[in-house]
Amino acid sequence: MANRVAICAVAQIKNDPNLWHARFQNMLLECFEGIISQTNVSFDMEKGIRTVLTCSDDVWDARTISDNAITDVVGAHFRGEEKIAQESLNGLGYAMACILSGHDDIILYMGHMKESQTESRGMCTNLAFDPFYCRPLGMDFVNVNAMQARAYMATSCINEEHLANIVVRSRKNAKKNPYARNNAIVNQDDVMKSPLLSDPLRELHYYPTTDWAFGMILCNEKRAKEFTGKPVWITGFANCIDSYFLGDKDLTSNFTLKNATERALKKAGIKGLKNNFELYELCDHAAYQLPMWAEGIGIIKDGDGGKWISEGGLDECNINISGGMLNGNPLLLGGAARVIECFYQLRGEADKRQVKGAKRALAQSTYGAAGQHQAVVIMEV
Amino acid sequence: MAKGKNRNVAIIGIGQTKHSSHREDVNQPEMIYEAVSAALKDANISIKDVDCVVHGNMELFEMIHQPDLWHVLGTGAYGKDSIRITTGGTVGATIACVSDNLIASGMYDIVMAIGFEKLQEGHTTGGITNMADPLWFRNLQTGALTGSTAYDVMQEFGEDRAKRASMMYRIIMDKHACLNSNAHRAFGLEFDQIETLMNTSPQLVGELRLIHMCSQSDGACAVILASEKKAKELSKKPVWIRDHITIHREETFNMFGYHQKYPVYKTHKFAAEQLFKRNDIKQPLEYFDVFEMYDPASWWGLDWLRDFFFLKGDEHLKLVENKEIMIGGSMPINPSGGVIATNPIGATALLRVAEAALQIRGDAGAHQIPNNVKHALASGFGGTMWTVLMLLEKELNW
Amino acid sequence: MEYWGVKVEDIFNTMHNRLRPEGAKGVIAEFGYDIIGEGKWKIKVNDGALGVIKTDDISNCVAVMVCDGETFVGINIGKVDATNAFTSGKVKIEGDFGQFGKTAKMFKKFVPKKASMSVRDYMLDMFGTLVQRFQPDNAPQEAVIVYDIGGEDGGVWTAYIKDGKCELKEELPAKFTVKLEVQEAKDWVDVMLGKTDAFSLLSAGKGSIVGETQIALKLEEIFSKYQDPMAGGTPEQELIVLKKIISVDQKFSTGPVMGKFLNALKNKKILGNKCPKCGRIQLPAREVCAECRVRVDEWVEVGPKGQVRYMEYVYYASPDPLTGETRETPYGMANILLDGCKGNDTFAHLIRRDQIDLIKGGKDDVSGTRVRPVWNEHRTGSIFDIKYFEIDE
Repeated sequence: MANRVAICAVAQIKNDPNLWHARFQNMLLECFEGIISQTNVSFDMEKGIRTVLTCSDDVWDARTISDNAITDVVGAHFRGEEKIAQESLNGLGYAMACILSGHDDIILYMGHMKESQTESRGMCTNLAFDPFYCRPLGMDFVNVNAMQARAYMATSCINEEHLANIVVRSRKNAKKNPYARNNAIVNQDDVMKSPLLSDPLRELHYYPTTDWAFGMILCNEKRAKEFTGKPVWITGFANCIDSYFLGDKDLTSNFTLKNATERALKKAGIKGLKNNFELYELCDHAAYQLPMWAEGIGIIKDGDGGKWISEGGLDECNINISGGMLNGNPLLLGGAARVIECFYQLRGEADKRQVKGAKRALAQSTYGAAGQHQAVVIMEV
Repeated sequence: MAKGKNRNVAIIGIGQTKHSSHREDVNQPEMIYEAVSAALKDANISIKDVDCVVHGNMELFEMIHQPDLWHVLGTGAYGKDSIRITTGGTVGATIACVSDNLIASGMYDIVMAIGFEKLQEGHTTGGITNMADPLWFRNLQTGALTGSTAYDVMQEFGEDRAKRASMMYRIIMDKHACLNSNAHRAFGLEFDQIETLMNTSPQLVGELRLIHMCSQSDGACAVILASEKKAKELSKKPVWIRDHITIHREETFNMFGYHQKYPVYKTHKFAAEQLFKRNDIKQPLEYFDVFEMYDPASWWGLDWLRDFFFLKGDEHLKLVENKEIMIGGSMPINPSGGVIATNPIGATALLRVAEAALQIRGDAGAHQIPNNVKHALASGFGGTMWTVLMLLEKELNW
Repeated sequence: MEYWGVKVEDIFNTMHNRLRPEGAKGVIAEFGYDIIGEGKWKIKVNDGALGVIKTDDISNCVAVMVCDGETFVGINIGKVDATNAFTSGKVKIEGDFGQFGKTAKMFKKFVPKKASMSVRDYMLDMFGTLVQRFQPDNAPQEAVIVYDIGGEDGGVWTAYIKDGKCELKEELPAKFTVKLEVQEAKDWVDVMLGKTDAFSLLSAGKGSIVGETQIALKLEEIFSKYQDPMAGGTPEQELIVLKKIISVDQKFSTGPVMGKFLNALKNKKILGNKCPKCGRIQLPAREVCAECRVRVDEWVEVGPKGQVRYMEYVYYASPDPLTGETRETPYGMANILLDGCKGNDTFAHLIRRDQIDLIKGGKDDVSGTRVRPVWNEHRTGSIFDIKYFEIDE
């Protein structure tokens, strides 16, 4: 199989509500040093890293071309550097392209996002809308997701208890994940009484403000053994974007995720999900998204979300053993966090949360409001 | 890229808008749509044939977060794969490199790269100044404006010769721009104005004068790339992408010592050395038939000729003084008029690739250079002295 | 000579009427205009007062604009792009460019009159076509609408609307539903031609509405849009440009390295950090040496005096993105080699503004001008704990 690339090593800092004592350069540097010490990879122009990919966002960094601020701490001085100005999972797809094209043997992929820097997450995501119509209406990712939540809850018979159970489970799972944001354990009642953000979304239904950074080394098949004895392979990647205006699309259709999954599976040469995957990591910005994305990927049939949760489907299918995005990853890095969890699981290094016999995993991410853009990565050992 | 590509990639479609400082008549997606539809028409394909759309610009110039989400109305990406990757002013060249990688990998067959900027919708110099550290350099910097290169060239070659050469470069670019109907600024400058302009054009920083500096434009560019198989099926004149390189550097600290014992290594030179070495190009000045350079100001354009072509002494000045860089000269630079004439930043570096490809095809119209163009070079510049270089070829024979 | 039907004199002769007091506030200066082949003018501005004279003596002006008549008229009536004309050298400014820039905000735009239609002609045409333009479907059952337009070209017109019919009379009735009062007929013409909008007129105090405002707000529906008989055949696009200032509050962390560096400034110390591999000193201090890709932990105190290696002499008045305020120009931003540093390990800061013309850069072993920091009395751990550097004599 010449169409796969290896993830050889990952490094991360702990997800944190407010890293007030660090600037994002400090966050990245820890990850950079983690990668170098694990792999001893060099920056030699022939044999080493020639291209560094980064993931960050100018609006959230409040800095034009914000990757110029980190060239030094990601080792990219007098090397190539390109910034994934998109959800981080898409960087895995592009890293795959860099390597499979023959242009690079090794890619260092680093990402950072410090959500605590801005005084208002809503004001940042409001800027993702056109200045003429949606922006003045006050749209941001929370209130548009709330519209999707209401529509989806109706079609898939999701009630407040279902959402509360998803949050309770996420917090429990996260306690077993040493890199997860430290959150209080909550019960169903806590969730159902938490304040409304945008009806029907409550505060505890939504991922909290989080600072985080990561690094990973990707490599072609031939050279992977130089850096690890246990490579995890990326065998499929695809994404899909929906139209912009809310009135132009059916918010419950999962149009983009269905397309992205189908195309990623095709690239990986896998026919259908059934019996083929031991775990799934999904980007649940909000609790309702966990069953909704499960439907989009095809883990369950359309409309079965509510029933599936009641029957314990989340544990049965090993969905978001890490605690998920819902426990706290920054907006654009949820995908990288999903990939990193799959990496540990497939290497058998997930400790207390290890899924036995994990051979193949699917990681999904989304960005934009109401799942406008969806991406899927297939990982195997 | 020591071993070569997994598979070959060619440019099969090129589209751009008319560039101007007044595009109040269109919003951002509408402006992008103009370039996209022109590129599809040029490639003689429909949007259905495109597998993936690559989008790039700088968010803070227009203050739109993840603008591809809104721009999907004009990009045609609906239902397709889409990638958004940015660098700096280099971004246009970067998305060309990204598209090349995406196709060469075998993951996609046809990819469209879209660069755009509507600089009138923000404050460009303010936006660039925002690059600097908020706690430190942001209080001092003036965007991309610097007089240091003018100072360097004047120190080395004397004030009068340096100023004349820089203004000669500027007027040649204007003469080229006058032949390009898409160019933003085309004044009709004449060589007998050199003396007047070099002394009277308003100063911005040191000897960097208003006339030397690039424009702030609204505009978009779309380039469609395809795998070898698709390109041969679809295009009569595919332009092959041979190789590309990206070289960044740390912020512009530790480089203003002005001591010959402590030379400062430049990214342009390093990029050119690495790229030409691995492609076995020993005499770049002889090898290339045309160079579309990202020249943000005439001082930089003049100075960087030396870095990109490994010139010695005053050879780069002579190229300009003898008008060898003009259409019809031995090494035509920017027949399109270049960046000083036209600068919608997110599209600017993609326009370099597009214009270089048009020269190879022989489709550049009034600014087509007379000799047969086989080998073209395109560059991108941005960030804190970052460089992207791309090699374009007429024949698949390297 | 006339250009686009406008003479150079027309521009100068209307300056009094076009003066914007808020734009001229605080400006005390004389500006000259040398319009090649047309003559010379001088305008004298004294904090809101304006004098315009045609004279050959423009020697005492703070700045003189030189260009030909076509360019001058073109810029003033919007036919020639001012930036382009300036950049290409068609317009030259001799003297203080910064001062001259203030004239741009001093005058309202010159609006040339249509050669063949006066304001009075427009008034007669507008009301002459009013009944034709009546839209019974959008009109109220019954209303009396009065247009009371002032100025020498004005008059009083009343539209009587009843049961889907409209009748116009030149009279002021005793009772009405709504009355529009506009002080100047020209302003009303501009509104009707779409050059300005009724709201601007109202907010500028140049017009008022008496009676039922709702009816007045519906006038655009009750009567279809007036078509300018002088305009071309194709209707113009209806374009709107939104102006917004976008601001999201931030809190920027320094991290330990930048934090230590900034804190030292409080104590009037400049700390660099030194690479353990190549020995370069970084100012401001950064976490790693980019060249060597290693963490930089050793701290060294440098300066505070040093020599200028290169200074950017900045004329362009750029905004400070953190405050939005435009900096005063010219200013000097220097790369200073502080004592204890070598090679390219310079430190960037400002030079005292009245000394920038005295600064010389260094080259190789020749030193540039020696400078010392001037510390702020109240230091907060910021770049401006040093106000600027001044010459050290």
